[in-house]
Amino acid sequence: MSDTAATHVHPDDHEDGLKRSISGRLLFFYVLGDVLGSGIYVLIGLVAGAVGGAFFLAFAVGVTIATVTGMAYAELATKYPRAAGAALYIQKAFGNRTLTFLVTVLFLASSFAAAGSLASGFARYFGEVFSFPPAAVVAIVFVALLAVVNYIGITESVVANMVMTFVEVFGLLIVLLIGFLVIVQGDADFGVLTEFDTDSNPIFAIIAGVSLAFFAMTGFENAANVAEETIDPARNFPKALIGGMAAAGVFYVLVSISAALTLPIPELVDAEAPLLAVVESGVLPVPVGVLSIVFAFIAMTAITNTTLVAIVTQPRVLYGMAREDVVPAAFGKVHPTRRSPVLALIFSAAVVIALLAISNLLLSAGLDLDIVARLATVTVVLLLIIYSMVIVACLKLGSTDVNADHYRAPRPLLYLGLVGNVAVLYYTVYDDPTSVLWCLALVGVGVALFVVELIFGKRDRPAGTRRGEPIEGKEL
Amino acid sequence: MHVVIATDGSKQSLAAAKHLMSFADPDKIEAVSVVGVISPYASVAFADEISGGPRDRSFREAAEDAVRTVAEALDGWGPKVQRKLRSGSPANEIVKAAKAVSAGLVVVASGSRGLSDTVLLGSTAQRVQHSAPCPVLVVRPAPRKRATKK
Repeated sequence: MSDTAATHVHPDDHEDGLKRSISGRLLFFYVLGDVLGSGIYVLIGLVAGAVGGAFFLAFAVGVTIATVTGMAYAELATKYPRAAGAALYIQKAFGNRTLTFLVTVLFLASSFAAAGSLASGFARYFGEVFSFPPAAVVAIVFVALLAVVNYIGITESVVANMVMTFVEVFGLLIVLLIGFLVIVQGDADFGVLTEFDTDSNPIFAIIAGVSLAFFAMTGFENAANVAEETIDPARNFPKALIGGMAAAGVFYVLVSISAALTLPIPELVDAEAPLLAVVESGVLPVPVGVLSIVFAFIAMTAITNTTLVAIVTQPRVLYGMAREDVVPAAFGKVHPTRRSPVLALIFSAAVVIALLAISNLLLSAGLDLDIVARLATVTVVLLLIIYSMVIVACLKLGSTDVNADHYRAPRPLLYLGLVGNVAVLYYTVYDDPTSVLWCLALVGVGVALFVVELIFGKRDRPAGTRRGEPIEGKEL
Repeated sequence: MHVVIATDGSKQSLAAAKHLMSFADPDKIEAVSVVGVISPYASVAFADEISGGPRDRSFREAAEDAVRTVAEALDGWGPKVQRKLRSGSPANEIVKAAKAVSAGLVVVASGSRGLSDTVLLGSTAQRVQHSAPCPVLVVRPAPRKRATKK
């Protein structure tokens, strides 16, 4: 690199003065890793149970709806390349601070629920390798450990993210190889792929499946976090986001087909760790014991990757809210050397751990509760609301802030995506009304923080300054 | 000699720049690069506590403001001042920036001597010392108040 730069302090005074680090390829793996880790390792059995042998269709429909939503995100992220994500888009589109606050809180709540579901999923695979300690303890320790990792700052490593994504993909490739061998050996009964395990209309079976499978599609919205640091975002961001989703979709469909061909559907439905059951089916000429341990570790890596993104995102949202003055200012304080928002981080981990503890208490109190599925549904309900609103924001902002550089999502697809999101949302809530209670409880966490800020927040504002106004000379 | 001064937006990093000026001979320094690193995958990609800029900035804007604030503190000292923003893992990027300009000295701040810094993998300052291509000046918040003197 040459070094012939200007003589004085001046913006942009050097050719590498404003170096961005996220290339299209890195972003692609970020999206792929984040999406793949959330769900297929955990939920495939539930989806198979809801739909029957044709459950690959549920994954195909789900990933299509999610990809269209991803297009709206890509358009808005290239228009407004900042780390704030959905909240920023809603603010731009509607200019209503209450609505923006609500979306932020919904997003935070969805992230808490997602981390809880993933941690419980992790515990199940962990339980397949080590019989001790109990799953609830594993899940809680897992969340606490990831919070520590986030505090140290290992999450800064883009390379680690990419390695974990490769491991995830490798795990799914094992499942695909098994499916391929089953077909080659002539053991495949393709009839199973058109079977619906329902008396009613197959369309409803598929919607039910999509509602469950949708958790596996989530995670892509976090890509907006790194939009600002993406090299040539107008070109790379849509390609990486939509490409990552499409790649995940292909994996989901092929893995579903492989699983359906390898194992009888009832066995898949009943398995604690369904993809592990596929691997243990004895198709591969490798000792089952070795294979299942290796695969369990792959699944745990996949889940860790996605949980880590959630654990990193929650304090980031709280930090942003503290700077907006809607939660107490202490959430906006960073550790002097680590530069991580310590209180926001501890609080987020505490909420997720409390969520796990309460779920487990309800479980032991005799409530019929599948923690993974329950929290996944809660995440999906919250995210579907946000996704629908982001699509509406994208449509509403269609002719605002237009520049030659941003990506433009095809309008008919956006309308289709909106209908899809609303349909799945409607079905999910209709099918499982109690999920709304859980959503409200989680949203309550954010609202409670707002109330605390309302009551005590005045102390850290000079007299005469209103909420949300910048404070002269004061930095958090 | 080309000196790289790293800033993470902390007051201590501004103090480190001032500390350098308090003893170094500006005639022996041709240029100073002020380097800020944004960590896109971290919870807080960049926290600026020195510029007093608006609160609703993006992380990149915050980093630009912090780097400018440190650069302005060096204004008029003598050496020409360049501003650089990188993104990635802070220690890595600081070392890369030092290599890119064939730096003769890297100046970093270290916030605390707390348990977390010694037990948990070391701080950015420690990681820079491990792999920098040149001498490293680590400015600590000394109990004698030497480093924070204006």
